[in-house]
Amino acid sequence: MTKGEQLLADMRRARRSGDPRLDDADRAILRRLTSGDIADEFAEALAQDLADDDLLGGTSPDGK
Amino acid sequence: MIVVDEYLAIRSLVGDTPSDLPDDVLAITTSVHWRILQRLHLPGGGQLSQAMAALSEPGRAAFRRPAPEILEILDPRPLLDQAAEISAAYGGTGLLIAEMLTASLHHGRTLWYGSERNVGRRTRDIARDLGITVNVVT
Repeated sequence: MTKGEQLLADMRRARRSGDPRLDDADRAILRRLTSGDIADEFAEALAQDLADDDLLGGTSPDGK
Repeated sequence: MIVVDEYLAIRSLVGDTPSDLPDDVLAITTSVHWRILQRLHLPGGGQLSQAMAALSEPGRAAFRRPAPEILEILDPRPLLDQAAEISAAYGGTGLLIAEMLTASLHHGRTLWYGSERNVGRRTRDIARDLGITVNVVT
Protein backbone atom coordinates (compact mmCIF):
# COMPACT_ATOMS: atom_id res chain seq x y z
CA MET A 1 0.00 0.00 0.00
CA THR A 2 1.42 3.40 -0.95
CA LYS A 3 1.56 6.31 1.46
CA GLY A 4 -1.30 7.94 -0.41
CA GLU A 5 -3.44 4.82 -0.27
CA GLN A 6 -2.76 4.53 3.44
CA LEU A 7 -3.72 8.16 3.95
CA LEU A 8 -6.96 7.75 2.01
CA ALA A 9 -7.79 4.58 3.92
CA ASP A 10 -7.25 6.40 7.21
CA MET A 11 -9.50 9.24 6.05
CA ARG A 12 -12.19 6.77 4.99
CA ARG A 13 -11.99 4.99 8.33
CA ALA A 14 -12.28 8.28 10.22
CA ARG A 15 -15.25 9.32 8.09
CA ARG A 16 -17.02 6.02 8.62
CA SER A 17 -16.55 6.05 12.37
CA GLY A 18 -18.41 9.30 12.94
CA ASP A 19 -17.57 12.35 14.98
CA PRO A 20 -15.41 11.50 18.01
CA ARG A 21 -16.98 14.39 19.94
CA LEU A 22 -20.13 12.28 20.29
CA ASP A 23 -20.07 9.89 23.21
CA ASP A 24 -22.09 6.68 23.37
CA ALA A 25 -25.06 8.41 25.00
CA ASP A 26 -25.09 11.09 22.29
CA ARG A 27 -25.02 8.44 19.59
CA ALA A 28 -27.92 6.63 21.22
CA ILE A 29 -29.95 9.85 21.26
CA LEU A 30 -29.28 10.55 17.59
CA ARG A 31 -30.22 7.00 16.62
CA ARG A 32 -33.57 7.61 18.31
CA LEU A 33 -34.08 10.57 15.94
CA THR A 34 -33.35 8.77 12.72
CA SER A 35 -34.81 5.34 13.39
CA GLY A 36 -35.99 5.05 16.96
CA ASP A 37 -38.90 6.02 19.14
CA ILE A 38 -38.77 9.75 18.31
CA ALA A 39 -38.32 9.34 14.56
CA ASP A 40 -41.92 10.40 13.91
CA GLU A 41 -41.56 13.49 16.03
CA PHE A 42 -38.32 14.35 14.24
CA ALA A 43 -39.95 13.93 10.82
CA GLU A 44 -42.88 16.12 11.85
CA ALA A 45 -40.52 18.82 13.13
CA LEU A 46 -38.69 18.87 9.81
CA ALA A 47 -41.96 19.19 7.94
CA GLN A 48 -43.14 21.93 10.26
CA ASP A 49 -40.02 23.97 9.45
CA LEU A 50 -41.22 24.17 5.86
CA ALA A 51 -44.79 25.00 6.77
CA ASP A 52 -43.68 27.79 9.10
CA ASP A 53 -41.20 29.48 6.80
CA ASP A 54 -42.01 30.54 3.24
CA LEU A 55 -38.39 31.29 2.42
CA LEU A 56 -37.38 27.78 3.35
CA GLY A 57 -40.48 25.90 2.27
CA GLY A 58 -41.70 27.97 -0.65
CA THR A 59 -44.97 29.68 -1.31
CA SER A 60 -46.92 26.59 -2.22
CA PRO A 61 -45.26 23.73 -0.41
CA ASP A 62 -46.70 20.29 -0.68
CA GLY A 63 -44.22 18.51 1.48
CA LYS A 64 -40.86 18.89 -0.18
CA MET B 1 -18.77 14.39 -2.79
CA ILE B 2 -22.42 13.47 -2.46
CA VAL B 3 -25.30 15.63 -1.28
CA VAL B 4 -27.36 14.14 1.55
CA ASP B 5 -30.38 15.01 3.66
CA GLU B 6 -30.80 15.53 7.40
CA TYR B 7 -31.13 11.82 8.16
CA LEU B 8 -27.91 10.77 6.47
CA ALA B 9 -26.11 13.80 7.86
CA ILE B 10 -26.98 12.80 11.39
CA ARG B 11 -26.12 9.19 10.71
CA SER B 12 -22.72 10.29 9.41
CA LEU B 13 -22.02 12.02 12.72
CA VAL B 14 -23.01 8.87 14.57
CA GLY B 15 -20.85 6.70 12.29
CA ASP B 16 -23.84 4.71 11.18
CA THR B 17 -24.23 5.38 7.47
CA PRO B 18 -26.05 2.74 5.38
CA SER B 19 -23.77 0.24 3.69
CA ASP B 20 -25.21 1.05 0.26
CA LEU B 21 -24.33 4.74 0.54
CA PRO B 22 -21.33 5.50 -1.73
CA ASP B 23 -18.02 5.72 0.08
CA ASP B 24 -17.49 9.41 -0.51
CA VAL B 25 -17.35 12.69 1.35
CA LEU B 26 -20.85 13.71 2.44
CA ALA B 27 -22.14 17.25 2.12
CA ILE B 28 -25.24 19.15 3.15
CA THR B 29 -26.62 22.49 2.09
CA THR B 30 -26.94 25.34 4.53
CA SER B 31 -30.71 24.99 4.62
CA VAL B 32 -30.41 21.33 5.58
CA HIS B 33 -27.98 22.33 8.29
CA TRP B 34 -30.45 25.03 9.33
CA ARG B 35 -33.18 22.43 9.84
CA ILE B 36 -30.85 20.28 11.90
CA LEU B 37 -29.87 23.30 14.00
CA GLN B 38 -33.51 24.13 14.65
CA ARG B 39 -33.73 20.95 16.69
CA LEU B 40 -31.02 22.34 18.98
CA HIS B 41 -31.92 25.98 19.13
CA LEU B 42 -35.68 25.97 18.73
CA PRO B 43 -36.87 23.33 21.12
CA GLY B 44 -40.55 22.55 21.13
CA GLY B 45 -42.26 20.25 23.55
CA GLY B 46 -42.15 16.52 23.65
CA GLN B 47 -39.55 13.83 23.71
CA LEU B 48 -37.53 15.25 20.85
CA SER B 49 -36.67 18.38 22.80
CA GLN B 50 -35.86 16.38 25.89
CA ALA B 51 -33.56 14.15 23.89
CA MET B 52 -31.77 17.05 22.26
CA ALA B 53 -31.34 18.76 25.61
CA ALA B 54 -29.64 15.63 26.89
CA LEU B 55 -26.82 15.84 24.34
CA SER B 56 -23.42 16.52 25.84
CA GLU B 57 -21.75 19.85 25.08
CA PRO B 58 -19.20 18.22 22.75
CA GLY B 59 -22.10 16.41 21.11
CA ARG B 60 -23.92 19.68 20.54
CA ALA B 61 -20.72 21.13 19.08
CA ALA B 62 -20.56 18.25 16.59
CA PHE B 63 -24.07 19.18 15.49
CA ARG B 64 -23.39 22.89 15.33
CA ARG B 65 -20.02 22.75 13.59
CA PRO B 66 -19.62 19.40 11.85
CA ALA B 67 -16.07 18.28 11.17
CA PRO B 68 -15.57 18.70 7.40
CA GLU B 69 -13.77 15.39 7.10
CA ILE B 70 -17.04 13.76 8.18
CA LEU B 71 -19.70 16.15 6.91
CA GLU B 72 -19.15 19.22 4.78
CA ILE B 73 -21.46 22.20 4.69
CA LEU B 74 -21.60 23.63 1.20
CA ASP B 75 -20.98 27.33 0.74
CA PRO B 76 -24.36 28.66 -0.43
CA ARG B 77 -23.06 31.74 -2.20
CA PRO B 78 -21.91 30.22 -5.50
CA LEU B 79 -25.18 28.25 -5.74
CA LEU B 80 -27.63 30.97 -4.81
CA ASP B 81 -28.31 32.49 -8.22
CA GLN B 82 -28.96 29.11 -9.80
CA ALA B 83 -31.10 28.09 -6.84
CA ALA B 84 -33.21 31.20 -7.24
CA GLU B 85 -33.56 30.46 -10.94
CA ILE B 86 -34.74 26.92 -10.25
CA SER B 87 -37.15 28.10 -7.57
CA ALA B 88 -38.67 30.66 -9.92
CA ALA B 89 -38.87 28.23 -12.83
CA TYR B 90 -40.86 25.74 -10.75
CA GLY B 91 -43.26 28.10 -9.04
CA GLY B 92 -41.48 29.03 -5.84
CA THR B 93 -39.99 25.89 -4.41
CA GLY B 94 -38.41 27.50 -1.38
CA LEU B 95 -34.75 27.52 -0.51
CA LEU B 96 -34.53 23.99 0.86
CA ILE B 97 -35.54 22.25 -2.35
CA ALA B 98 -33.84 24.74 -4.68
CA GLU B 99 -30.55 24.60 -2.81
CA MET B 100 -30.48 20.81 -2.71
CA LEU B 101 -31.30 20.47 -6.39
CA THR B 102 -28.68 23.05 -7.33
CA ALA B 103 -26.06 21.39 -5.14
CA SER B 104 -26.78 18.06 -6.77
CA LEU B 105 -26.31 19.56 -10.22
CA HIS B 106 -22.77 20.46 -9.16
CA HIS B 107 -22.06 17.17 -7.40
CA GLY B 108 -22.94 14.22 -9.56
CA ARG B 109 -26.60 14.93 -10.31
CA THR B 110 -27.69 12.72 -7.46
CA LEU B 111 -29.38 13.31 -4.12
CA TRP B 112 -29.24 10.90 -1.22
CA TYR B 113 -31.98 10.67 1.40
CA GLY B 114 -32.10 8.57 4.53
CA SER B 115 -35.88 8.43 4.76
CA GLU B 116 -38.56 8.02 2.13
CA ARG B 117 -40.83 10.45 3.94
CA ASN B 118 -38.19 13.18 3.67
CA VAL B 119 -38.54 13.22 -0.13
CA GLY B 120 -41.55 15.18 -1.28
CA ARG B 121 -43.41 14.85 -4.55
CA ARG B 122 -42.16 18.24 -5.69
CA THR B 123 -38.55 17.29 -5.20
CA ARG B 124 -39.05 14.07 -7.13
CA ASP B 125 -40.86 15.82 -10.00
CA ILE B 126 -38.33 18.61 -10.39
CA ALA B 127 -35.37 16.28 -9.96
CA ARG B 128 -36.72 14.07 -12.74
CA ASP B 129 -37.14 17.12 -14.95
CA LEU B 130 -33.55 18.20 -14.29
CA GLY B 131 -32.06 14.76 -14.79
CA ILE B 132 -31.20 14.33 -11.10
CA THR B 133 -31.39 10.87 -9.53
CA VAL B 134 -33.01 10.69 -6.11
CA ASN B 135 -31.77 7.79 -3.97
CA VAL B 136 -33.20 6.66 -0.67
CA VAL B 137 -31.08 4.43 1.57
CA THR B 138 -32.06 3.32 5.03
